[in-house]
Amino acid sequence: MGDYKFAKDKLAEVLSSLGDYQVFAPTPAGDVVRFLEVKDPAAVTLESANSTVPPKELMFPETETLFKYRLGDTGLDPSVPDASARRLVFGIRPCDAMAYTIVDNLFSWDFTDPYYLNRRENTTLVGFACGDPCANCFCPSMGGAPASEKGLDALMFDLGDTFYVKTLTDKGDAFAKAAGLDAAGDAESKAAEKQAEEALGKVKRSIDTAGIPEKLPSLYDHPFWEQFSDRCLSCGICTFLCPTCHCFDIQDEAEAFNARRARMWDTCMFAEYTVHTSGHNPRPTRKERTRNRISHKYSYFPEKFDVIACVGCGRCINNCPVNIDLLDILEKSKQAEGKEAKTA
Amino acid sequence: MMDESNPYLPYIVKVEDAWYETPVGDRAVKTFKVTFEDEKVWDTWSHRPGNCAMVGRLGIGESMFCISSSPTEEGYLRFSIMQAGKVTSAIHEVDAGDTLTVRGPLGNSFPMEEWEGKNIVSIGGGIGQAPLRPVINYVRANKDKYGDLKVLYGARTSDLHCFKTEFDEYSGEGTACHLAIDVEEEGWPHFVGFVPDLLMEVAPSPENTIAVTCGPPILIKFVTQNLEKLGFTPDQIYTTLEERMKCGIGKCGRCNVGSMYVCKDGPVFSYETLKKIPEAFA
Amino acid sequence: MVDLKELQDKAKEVISRDDVRRLIGWQRGTYGFESAPIVVTDASDADKLIFDPTCVQNPASFITLEEKRPVPRGQEPDTRKVAVMVKGCDSRAIVQQLVEKAYPRENVIVMGMPCRGVIDRRKAAALFGDVTPDEVKLDGDKVVVSLNSETKELARGDILADKCMRCRYPNPLVSDELMTEEVEKWGADEFADVDEFEKMSPADKWKFWEEQFSKCIRCYSCRNVCPMCYCVECVVAKLKPQWTRRSTDISENAAYHVQRAWHLSGRCIECMECQRVCPVDIPIMTLNRKMTRDVKEMFDYEPGVDVEAEPLLACYNPQDPEDYIM
Repeated sequence: MGDYKFAKDKLAEVLSSLGDYQVFAPTPAGDVVRFLEVKDPAAVTLESANSTVPPKELMFPETETLFKYRLGDTGLDPSVPDASARRLVFGIRPCDAMAYTIVDNLFSWDFTDPYYLNRRENTTLVGFACGDPCANCFCPSMGGAPASEKGLDALMFDLGDTFYVKTLTDKGDAFAKAAGLDAAGDAESKAAEKQAEEALGKVKRSIDTAGIPEKLPSLYDHPFWEQFSDRCLSCGICTFLCPTCHCFDIQDEAEAFNARRARMWDTCMFAEYTVHTSGHNPRPTRKERTRNRISHKYSYFPEKFDVIACVGCGRCINNCPVNIDLLDILEKSKQAEGKEAKTA
Repeated sequence: MMDESNPYLPYIVKVEDAWYETPVGDRAVKTFKVTFEDEKVWDTWSHRPGNCAMVGRLGIGESMFCISSSPTEEGYLRFSIMQAGKVTSAIHEVDAGDTLTVRGPLGNSFPMEEWEGKNIVSIGGGIGQAPLRPVINYVRANKDKYGDLKVLYGARTSDLHCFKTEFDEYSGEGTACHLAIDVEEEGWPHFVGFVPDLLMEVAPSPENTIAVTCGPPILIKFVTQNLEKLGFTPDQIYTTLEERMKCGIGKCGRCNVGSMYVCKDGPVFSYETLKKIPEAFA
Repeated sequence: MVDLKELQDKAKEVISRDDVRRLIGWQRGTYGFESAPIVVTDASDADKLIFDPTCVQNPASFITLEEKRPVPRGQEPDTRKVAVMVKGCDSRAIVQQLVEKAYPRENVIVMGMPCRGVIDRRKAAALFGDVTPDEVKLDGDKVVVSLNSETKELARGDILADKCMRCRYPNPLVSDELMTEEVEKWGADEFADVDEFEKMSPADKWKFWEEQFSKCIRCYSCRNVCPMCYCVECVVAKLKPQWTRRSTDISENAAYHVQRAWHLSGRCIECMECQRVCPVDIPIMTLNRKMTRDVKEMFDYEPGVDVEAEPLLACYNPQDPEDYIM
């Protein structure tokens, strides 16, 4: 694990030197920033704080084929990604990298998911520390930080004219070698440390999560949810743009005789998500769906996997068109008076 | 067991036989007796009463169903499926000689070993008898290990009872079989009324007994209440839950009740566990 | 300018009525230039209501968004009224919902809020970043923003939503009571944006939409926020038959957006909420505005302006042009 650097004007050169990898980096299309495969290094932007769509889509795409088949035939052709392929995500924010470490729990408990896990295995994560957190960032409350190393193979810092790169794993070292980075010294690592500390001080919002996972179940019937669910659109913004939300639907699709079984993002905010064939819906209104979203992240997931399914990236707050503010909900949940979990 | 490396890949199964349990029409129940196209699958396959599987048709999709045959019925699997939505309608079109897909076994199962030495009361309603059938048949096949077996089963009309041909077998073996229908029919010699009332009529003793119930949510609710009235404690009562499912392997998210995934941590739950999860009764 | 105290008192009075169940308006948001819709069910919450240029959302959306639980046996359904505050543009949604008989007129109490424009939060963020303003108000031809004990004056077009610059209905077209005096109209709509778009060649248009629809993540926020998208079951959710697949790709995404545009032809009241809420900035209204102009030119019809009107697709006139049949 070492300290490296490269001049800022060499960014395109560095990206171009990674020919052994399939490289993904934040790329703008209008106001929308997404992690796309780098075709033109000049199109890459490191300016935006958080990408609009989180890079979870690189491990868990919006839509992906599970297997293909021909109608009338019983042969199945699985589309499992190659575990030995080499992919590299360049410029991922620490919160989004930490999100992978949380979602790993889900895709690897009991049955393992080869689609997600093979991609995780074959991907090198080169992080980019945040110098200027967004208005609704609260990663320090979730065990992260603007320069958190969790889940990363290397972490870059913007030091003005230079990027300082600290490698954290063998995969990170392999990247530094492939990119032919120069060695960095004490000056750079000190500057990076200072920047990390300053960035931490710039984070405006926070939540003390102590006690929340244990308390939420006691608020199952509490009317406080309605303050938020009453204005909820029941759309997929907060969950689709959440780096830890991982729910999906599975559908068979056929085009003449060529067919596939595919999975695609789904969300507990849609009414049809839980509706039974009988028409009965255990979560009939937005109150139950809002409660499930928050409870799943802050109570059910930690109960099962011992970690809250939230990294404090602020996307659900930034993008909600009706200002349903996760931190506001959590604060109000702390004030609300709970009762013992209801028995039937 | 399923392909360990890819739990999304189903097995192809051949339908050996298929028949209607209830009159043909909307919401009919049809039973499919299937075997694996690749016989080698049997070498690694093992399931337990209560286990489920994703049954599907390529090109349409798959849905979760309980395996309605007991592991003691060897050489085939049975699924009893009510026609209701897109997938079940497509499965109902299938007959002997056709193929389906099966992905499983999935979910947990009834703790049959723990129950050894105890009396078993099975209380079912309608299609809810499907997950109880493997319990009943498992106990019948292992008579020496269990105490008394009582079967209580009701449906709206006598037509709508599933597994009708088996009732005489139960009685023949000395298993008490209490049947019920909701409304009076001419010539019906058994109980008329709802299953929770039938339960009070039969009034099984809670002494060294396990009660297993399945049926519509309203039936489960009142049967549970009545079992408690009869002196059953929550740890003596078991049921199976049903939620919308897609993956069956605890990933896709939608079947959660509280922190439990019904597809993985269920479908079998003791009432003691369910009492702590308010969403289980939603 | 609205007197906040007066507005809140009026709301208190309305929500306290025995025949009123809920009141929908706006409250202050939690950060930046955000406001949030609020559903008031208790008079004690009426003090949270506000009205200023941050009140962008269309409260009429929340009338049809409410999901009713099945009424337990033996109980009567709650038939009390819903009170709703609406700006001019929002009010067109109520008019159109009434035209379509989504609910009877007497079920709603419309509290009219004459309006001189609302903030576009993307423009505001570009100008002021993450800062939360102390006050935002309209003063003559200026928008006055007070923040960090400073006051900034902006030209209306610099910070107000584009729809406000061409607004022809600043005063509610349906209301039981106006909360302030009517404001003077200023805008005209010549569909300049549609003209501009139509200059493109078909190939360029397709390229444009291909790029735009490829971004879509199918969160359905555009559909859900739309006060005119209130079908019990949306066509894209149907499984038997399945008209649109759930997978996201250019074909299915385009099918969704084109279907929605068609279903809104002669119905879209141009509140622009669909475009505002889109997290990936798809200019959805470019489609709807084209439909709006075609409907206007071909059938001389404008939805959401006359409560007595018949829905466009429910009225037939032998003189109707057939140009749209390809």
